[in-house]
Amino acid sequence: MLRIPFRVVFEQRGETARRLSLLVPLASVLAALFFGALFLLATGYSPIDTYINMFRDGFASFNGITDTLALSTVLICTGISAAFAFQMNLYNIGGEGQLYLGLIGGAWAGIALGDHLPTLLMVPVVLLCGAFAGAAWIFVPAFVRSRLGTSEIVSTLLLTYIGASLIKHVIYTPGSFFRNPNTSFPQGRLVADSASLDSFGSSRLYPTFFVALVIAGALYWVVKRTEFGYRINVIADSPKAAYYAGIHANRTTMWVMLISGALSGLAGAMLIVGPYGKIEPSIITLGYGYAGIVVAALARNNLGLIIVSGILFSGLKVGGNNLQVTTDTPIHIGVMLQGAILLFALGGEAFRRYHIHVVRVHDVSTKKVAA
Amino acid sequence: MNENIWILMSGDAIAIATTLILAALGALFTERSGVLNLGIEGILLTSAISSFLAADASGSVWLGLIVGSLIGALLASIHAVLSVVFRANQIVAGLALVIFGTGLANFLGKPAEGKTVTTVIKPISFGPLSDIPVIGPIVFGQDIITYLAIALAIVASRYLFSTRPGLELRATGDDPATVDAQGLSVARIRIRYTMIGGSLVGLGGSWLMLAQSAGWHQAATTNGLGWIALALVVFAGWRPMRIIFGAVLFGFTLQLPFTLQAEQITFIPSAFLEMLPYLATLIALIALSRPGSRNLLGAPRALGTPFVRDER
Repeated sequence: MLRIPFRVVFEQRGETARRLSLLVPLASVLAALFFGALFLLATGYSPIDTYINMFRDGFASFNGITDTLALSTVLICTGISAAFAFQMNLYNIGGEGQLYLGLIGGAWAGIALGDHLPTLLMVPVVLLCGAFAGAAWIFVPAFVRSRLGTSEIVSTLLLTYIGASLIKHVIYTPGSFFRNPNTSFPQGRLVADSASLDSFGSSRLYPTFFVALVIAGALYWVVKRTEFGYRINVIADSPKAAYYAGIHANRTTMWVMLISGALSGLAGAMLIVGPYGKIEPSIITLGYGYAGIVVAALARNNLGLIIVSGILFSGLKVGGNNLQVTTDTPIHIGVMLQGAILLFALGGEAFRRYHIHVVRVHDVSTKKVAA
Repeated sequence: MNENIWILMSGDAIAIATTLILAALGALFTERSGVLNLGIEGILLTSAISSFLAADASGSVWLGLIVGSLIGALLASIHAVLSVVFRANQIVAGLALVIFGTGLANFLGKPAEGKTVTTVIKPISFGPLSDIPVIGPIVFGQDIITYLAIALAIVASRYLFSTRPGLELRATGDDPATVDAQGLSVARIRIRYTMIGGSLVGLGGSWLMLAQSAGWHQAATTNGLGWIALALVVFAGWRPMRIIFGAVLFGFTLQLPFTLQAEQITFIPSAFLEMLPYLATLIALIALSRPGSRNLLGAPRALGTPFVRDER
C-alpha cells in the first residue's frame, strides 16, 4: 500500500479565538460556493450569474428579503427544534414528520373550531394544536428512548415517512375532513377566517415571524437561566455526573424531545395561520424539517445564533428556488449547495477546535510527540 | 385468489430485498468499524442516477454497476474524511451527505427525466429449474446481483467472524484503543471500511435503478430504502446473516401494497399499506430494545465516536 510521507496532526486548542468562531463559518460558506462554482462551470452554467441572481433574489430586493424572512419563520422554528434536542445529544431528525403533524393539528383546529373565536384567540389556539400534534408525533420515540434506549435517530425518521403517508391520506381520500369538499381536484379545506393572519402589505411575510423570534429568545433564556436548562447542560456534558447529582435523565430526555417535537409542530401550524391556510400536500417535498437540522448545525446548536443561520440559510434557499425562474439553472443546484455548505462547515469546525498542521512522517521525534 | 400474483410477489420481495441486503451490508461494514454513516439514502440516490447515466451512455449495464459502486465509494469517502480525519459530528455529516446527495442526484438526473432504462439486468435462466411451479420463479427467477448479494452476506459473515482482518474490523468498532495499541491504524481501517461500505451501497443503488426501476423518478427512486437499510442493521444485530432474513421480511412488506391492489383487496386503505414497512421497522426496532440493550444487540461499542489517542 502507498505510504503517504506526511501526517496530519491535530492539536486541541486551549481556547477558541472569537475571531475563528466567526471566520470559520464564513470561510466554509465561501469554500462551498467555490466548490459550487466549479461544479456549475463543469456543467456549463455561469457561476457568477447564478450567484448574483441567488443573492439578489434572496436578500437584495424587497420581495427577496421579505420572502427570506417569511421562510426563516419556519426554519428558525425547525432549527431550534433540532438544536434544542441536539445539545443534549438527542438526535431528533424527524422534525420533518413533526412539522407535517403540526400542519394537520393546526388545520384541524382551524376547521373544527369555526368562526366563533376572535383572531387574537383563535391563532394561538391553532398554533398550540399544531405544537401539540408535533409533540404527540414524537411521544413514542421519546418514550422508548428514555425507557428502553431505542435509537431516536431511526425511530423519528421512520415516523417522518409515516407522517408523509398521513398527509397524502387526509388530502387524497375522498370525503376526508381535511379535504376541500367543493372541488373535485384534491386539495386542503381552508381554515376559518379567524384562523388566518394577514401578511404585511404586499409582502408574503406574516406576523408569525416575530413569534418565532420570541420563542427562540425564550428557549435561549430557558437553557441559560433556568434549572431545567442547567439539568440539560449537565446531562449533555456528563450523563454520569448527572446521575450522581440525582438528576432524572429519563424525565429530562422525555421533556426535551417533546419540546423539540412541539417546536417542529409549531412550524407546521405557522404555515396554516400564515401562507397556506390549509394543508398543502406539496409540503412533503419541501424538506423544511430537514433544513432545520442544517440551520442548527450551522449555528453549532447555539440557540442565539439560530436566528442568524436561519435567515442566512433561508436566503440561500429563496435565491436558489428562484434560479429556475430567472435563469435556466436547475433548482436542485440550490439543494446541493445547502449540503455542500454543511459539509464544508463540518470540516471547517475542525479548524476551529484544533490547531492542524502537517508533519513529515520520517521525522520520528515529531511523530512521537505529536501522536 | 390468484396464485400467480402471490408467487410474483415473493419474487419481487426478494428482488427488493437485494437492494436492502447490499445497502445494509454496506452500512454494517461501516458501522462495524465504528463509523455511523447516515448518508446511505443520499449515496443510494446518487449512485442510482450515475449508473443510469453511465449505462445509458455506454450501453453496458455492467459499466453502470461499476460506476455506481465507485460513486458510492467516493461519496462515502467524504463522510470518512469528515468523521475520521476532521472528527466531525457523524450524525450531522451523514445528514449533510443525504442533502448533498439528493441535490446532486436530482441535478444530474435532470436530462434523464422521462427517459426509460433501456439496458436492464435480466434474470438468469436456469432452464427447466425455472419452470418448477412456485419454487422455480422465486428461487431460480432472479438476476445475478441478487444471488451475488446473498453470497456476499454469507462471505461477509465468514469474513467478520472467522478471519483476522474481520477480527480487526470488529475490534476497531468495539475498542479502537486496543487496535491502536496493536500498531494498526484505526483511521486507516475506518476510512477503508467506510469506503467499502459506500461501494456496496452504491452497487445496491445502481442495481435498484438498472434492474428494478422503469426510469428515474428523483427521490421516489429509492423512496427511503436507505433509511430502512439502516434500521435493518439494528434489526439484524450487526450480523450479516440476519440481514438476509430481515431484508426478505421487509421486501415482503414493501411489496404487499402492490399485490393487494392487484388482487383488488381494498378494505385496507392504501395509505396504511404505504406506512406498513416503516411501521414494521419501527415496531421491530422497539421490540428489540431493552434497557441498556445496546451491547446485547451487538452494536459496536465505539459506534459514532471518533478515536483520538490522547483523549482516551
